[in-house]
Amino acid sequence: MSFLAQAFWAPLTETYFQKALIGGCAVALVSGVVGCLVVLRRMAFLGDALSHAMIAGVAGGYLAMKLLFGIEAHAPSMLLGSLLAAVITVALIGLVSRVSRIKEDTAIGIMYTGVFALGVVVVSIFRQYIHIDLMHFIMGDILGVADSDLWASVLVSATVLSILVLFFRHFQLASFDPIMAASTGLPVLLLDYALTTCVSLVVVSAVSMVGVILVVGLLITPAATAYLLSDRLDRMMWLSALFGVTSVIGGLYLCVWLDSAGGGAVMLFCTLQFLVVLVLAPRYGLLARWLRMRRLVPQQVIEDVLITVLRRQGDTPLPVLHEFVQAAHPGLIPKALRQMEQEGMISVSPEGYRLTEAGGKEARQVLRAHRLWESYLASIGTPQEAVHPTAHRLEHIRGEGTVEYLDQKLGKPELDPHGKKIPPRQNNNHGFPPRNDRNRNHEP
Amino acid sequence: MDIKRVPAIEVRHLTVSYGAHPALLDVSVTIEQDQLVGVIGPNGSGKSTFIKAILGFEKPDVGEILIGGEDVQKAKGRVAYVPQRGAVDWDFPITVREVALMGRYQRIPWYRSPSPADREAAMEALAMVRMTDFAGRQIGQLSGGQQQRVFLARALAQGSDILLLDEPFAGVDAATERAILDVLERAKAAGKTLVVVHHDLTTAAEYFDNLILLKQRLYAYGPPSLVLHEELLSQVYEGRLRVFADLMAKESKR
Repeated sequence: MSFLAQAFWAPLTETYFQKALIGGCAVALVSGVVGCLVVLRRMAFLGDALSHAMIAGVAGGYLAMKLLFGIEAHAPSMLLGSLLAAVITVALIGLVSRVSRIKEDTAIGIMYTGVFALGVVVVSIFRQYIHIDLMHFIMGDILGVADSDLWASVLVSATVLSILVLFFRHFQLASFDPIMAASTGLPVLLLDYALTTCVSLVVVSAVSMVGVILVVGLLITPAATAYLLSDRLDRMMWLSALFGVTSVIGGLYLCVWLDSAGGGAVMLFCTLQFLVVLVLAPRYGLLARWLRMRRLVPQQVIEDVLITVLRRQGDTPLPVLHEFVQAAHPGLIPKALRQMEQEGMISVSPEGYRLTEAGGKEARQVLRAHRLWESYLASIGTPQEAVHPTAHRLEHIRGEGTVEYLDQKLGKPELDPHGKKIPPRQNNNHGFPPRNDRNRNHEP
Repeated sequence: MDIKRVPAIEVRHLTVSYGAHPALLDVSVTIEQDQLVGVIGPNGSGKSTFIKAILGFEKPDVGEILIGGEDVQKAKGRVAYVPQRGAVDWDFPITVREVALMGRYQRIPWYRSPSPADREAAMEALAMVRMTDFAGRQIGQLSGGQQQRVFLARALAQGSDILLLDEPFAGVDAATERAILDVLERAKAAGKTLVVVHHDLTTAAEYFDNLILLKQRLYAYGPPSLVLHEELLSQVYEGRLRVFADLMAKESKR
């Protein structure tokens, strides 16, 4: 057997690995789907809080079964206890943020640390009765999953997934527009509670595998990864579930190969996955963003080209443009020319560049702004030699009716201070819309 | 007909407060059917709260709201709503088509998926606001006016007789404003009642049949010629009245 086959196949024959794989995938699948709603509704902090609050419930469930029935480490009652603790914590958070001036995030912080502290104190007081390893609780143990935990996680996964699939539209609408949801008679509050219960269930079943600290990562990281890749909620949920499952598979192999902690390896793989997508995502990724920025030519360069060509009144060769157009670096000018040619503002001939009809219109508007600014500068007593260069910089400020305002203020002058004619105003309805508007359509 | 028509919206002694701050105090208004009504008033005068109360989203402390003669809490889904632009998460992973389809959700039982008929109705609503070409776009990639039209399509797809719009003209250019108004007027001609929160007093008289002037209390309700009255406006808008000097000169000439 080759080395590679050995590396991938050998772990699969081990029972502990099989269990970890099944349990981990079940949990990751459902936390990916729920996580999408958690991310979109900005509940990440609440997920973190729920996982911490659980310890009080686990201790309570353990203690109750031990003292009442003498049963040691009864898994279902610990599960029930943690669910109860989660629900109580949520109720307390809601109460505090509703009846006092304390905002919700602070209320979450207060309540979950309080409940967590209660759990820690109870566990340490009853340490001769309760045999809970706090480290185990905090770090999780995906490679030592008990059969009962496995069943619990598969059951939780199936239940929560069914609820989310059945009521997908309701959750979608209530998350996107709660006001409309309420106005059409959707029980928005009930849906909120249902979602919080689902999150609690998922968190409770995942804690035994990845631990308290990492569980929130499993909840939100795959969802955030998917968020960078999709523009539809259903697709985001599919992708998120997929990323959850791949991070469990990848993380488990990583942990076996490196002989590391299981939960840590899973979350590390998950985070790396996120970082790769963050860089490479086609629309919302860093690389795409950087490329877009690079392709963007400053409006000022384009306007300088327009006005230079207009002043030459004919074919303008490239060296002339390099002389008159101000650009941060010389590479911008050819780029601007290419873009303007594509947009039909200029045409190229062997002798140089020439304005098209649309380009000419736009150029005259820039010239109008320039000459009005000159008139304005002259009217406020700017020294004559400073008028032209200053106006050359100010001419690019012509959005939001600035130029018309100047025109009004100056009493609609016909000529600029140098005695040149100021071109008349033109409506932008045909020809080119203002550039700012055009860019807005492409930029998300 | 000798049976008197039931008013579309009847608001009686509506009082809503947030904590100790009253947002609306004892507002009583009756809006007849087939009207295009504007709600005006300075910032923070309770205009949005008024809309949310009619939607049944804000529960009144005192007073009641009847939609077509029925209590608002029982009349769920009979009022459609176009939210203020700032109230929408534009990064939400949802396409134009899906937003329009949301208008149909209230008719689809929970155990069934949207049918082809529902999808068709959503596309028809998009066609009414001329947004069919953008159906596959994520909503954040549209311009302000286009976004407004998508939500208008959603409200139309709901098929409700009453439409509430929260500042639909905020932040759109003049051409888009015209286009939106056109859709509103067509909706009115089709027998719908529209209540629109509006911030621009200079166009209020031209756009609406009736105006509601709010500032916590109801200051006036009636045709624009009566509501856009110098004394009233100076009372409600206090020092900021100079802006409207032009407008009132125009109004008094009529």
